[in-house]
Amino acid sequence: MSKSIKQLSDENIAQMVQSGKTNFFNILVKRYEAKMMRYAKKFLFNHNDIEDLVQEVFIKAYTNIQSFDASRKFSAWLYRIAHNEFINLIKKKGKEPVSFFDIDALLPHYASKEKADKDVNEKELRKMLDKCLNKINPKYREPIILYYFEDLSYKEIAGILHIPISTVGIRLKRGKKIMRSIYQKLDNRI
Amino acid sequence: MNNIFKKSSISKEIARKIENNQIKMHPKIYFVLKFILIVLIVLFFALFALYLISFIIFSLKVTGVWFLPKFGFGAIFIFFKSLPWLLILIAAILIIILELFVKHFSFAYRKPLIYSIAGIIILTLLGSFMISKTHLHSELFLRAGDGKLPMMGRFYKDFGSPKLSDVHHGIVSDITKDSFFLETAKGEILTIVINSTTYFNKSEDLKEGDKVVVLGKRNDNSVSAFKIRKTNDEFNIPREQRHK
Repeated sequence: MSKSIKQLSDENIAQMVQSGKTNFFNILVKRYEAKMMRYAKKFLFNHNDIEDLVQEVFIKAYTNIQSFDASRKFSAWLYRIAHNEFINLIKKKGKEPVSFFDIDALLPHYASKEKADKDVNEKELRKMLDKCLNKINPKYREPIILYYFEDLSYKEIAGILHIPISTVGIRLKRGKKIMRSIYQKLDNRI
Repeated sequence: MNNIFKKSSISKEIARKIENNQIKMHPKIYFVLKFILIVLIVLFFALFALYLISFIIFSLKVTGVWFLPKFGFGAIFIFFKSLPWLLILIAAILIIILELFVKHFSFAYRKPLIYSIAGIIILTLLGSFMISKTHLHSELFLRAGDGKLPMMGRFYKDFGSPKLSDVHHGIVSDITKDSFFLETAKGEILTIVINSTTYFNKSEDLKEGDKVVVLGKRNDNSVSAFKIRKTNDEFNIPREQRHK
C-alpha cells in the first residue's frame, strides 16, 4: 500500500482528495512542506512566522483543492498559492516595496535562453546568492529562488508569477546584475 | 532534529485540522459560480465600454466635433478642446478595469501585457464603431428629445446638444448661385454664403437633399462658409427627412 502511494503522482493524489479521500492530503503536505519552507525562508528572510505562513499555504490549498485542474501540475498550483500568500505578507508588513504595476511585464523582451543562464560561473553565483539574495527587491529575488533553489523552468516560473516567459528571463538577468554589483561592493569593503 | 520536528508539526497540524473539520474544502460549485461571476463582470464592463465609446463617437458626430479634423490643421486645436474628456476618462478607466480582470486569464498573462491592453482597446474601438453605425444612439437621442427616455434622457441631451457655434449641420433645401439654404434639425433655415475663400471639394457637387456640415461664422440666419463637407449622418437633419 505504502509503495503504491509513493508511486502515485501529486495530481493523482490531489484527485483522490477532490473525490473525498481527504486524509490523502497529508501525503501532499509531506511531499511539499520542505520545499515550501525553503521557498518561504529564502523569500521572506526577515520574517519570523514562516512556519505559520507555510501552514496557511497548505490550508489554502486544501480549501481550494476543488479548483485544481488535475491535467496541470500540482506543484505549480501550490507554488502559485504560496506566491500569493508571501506577496500579501510582504505588502502587509510594508518592509519591502512591491510594485502594483510592473513595466517588465508590460513590454515584450528578448530574454536569453534558459540554458545560457545556468552556464554562468556557478561558484560565483552561489557566493552571490548566499550573501546578496536578501538585499535585492522581491520582484527579482523570487524568480531567482524559484530557478536556482527550486529548480523550476522559466515556463513554470512564468505560470506561478503570472508573467510572460520572457519577463522571467529579464528578471533573472537583472536580479543577478544587481546582486553582482552588491557583491562587488561588499568584496571591495573586505 | 529540529527540522524534522518542524516538518512533522506542519503535516500533523494540518491532518488534525482536517480531521476535526476545522478547515473545510470549498465545493466545486463555489468555483464554478465564482468563474461565472468573473465572466459576467468582464462582460458587464465590456458592454459598458462598448456602449460608452460608441456614445462618445455619436456625441462627437451630433455636436459637430467629429468633423473638425476634416477641416484641416487649424481645426485640430478646437477638436481637442471640444472632446468630451470626462467620458473619455471613464472609458479609459473601464479599459483599465477590463485589463485588470483579463490579465488573470492565462492567455493574457503569458504574453506581455501590452498585447492584452492593445487587444482590449482595438476590440472595444472596433465594436464601438460598429455600434455607432447602427441607429441605437440616434434613436435614443430622438427619444430623449421627445422626453420619452426617462433615465438616460438627460445624459443624451447634455452630451448630444451642439456645443460648437461655428459648426452647422443640416440638409440642403435649395441652391442659388452663390449660396444655398440649409435646413437644420431644429427646423431653422440658414443661408450658407459661398465665397472665393470657401473650401469645398468640387467633385462633391451639391444638390437638394444632400446632408452637409458647414464650418463658418453665423450672423443671424446667414453663415459665411469657411468649409463645406457632405456627410451621411442622419441625426442632425430634420426628423421628417431621416431614413430617406
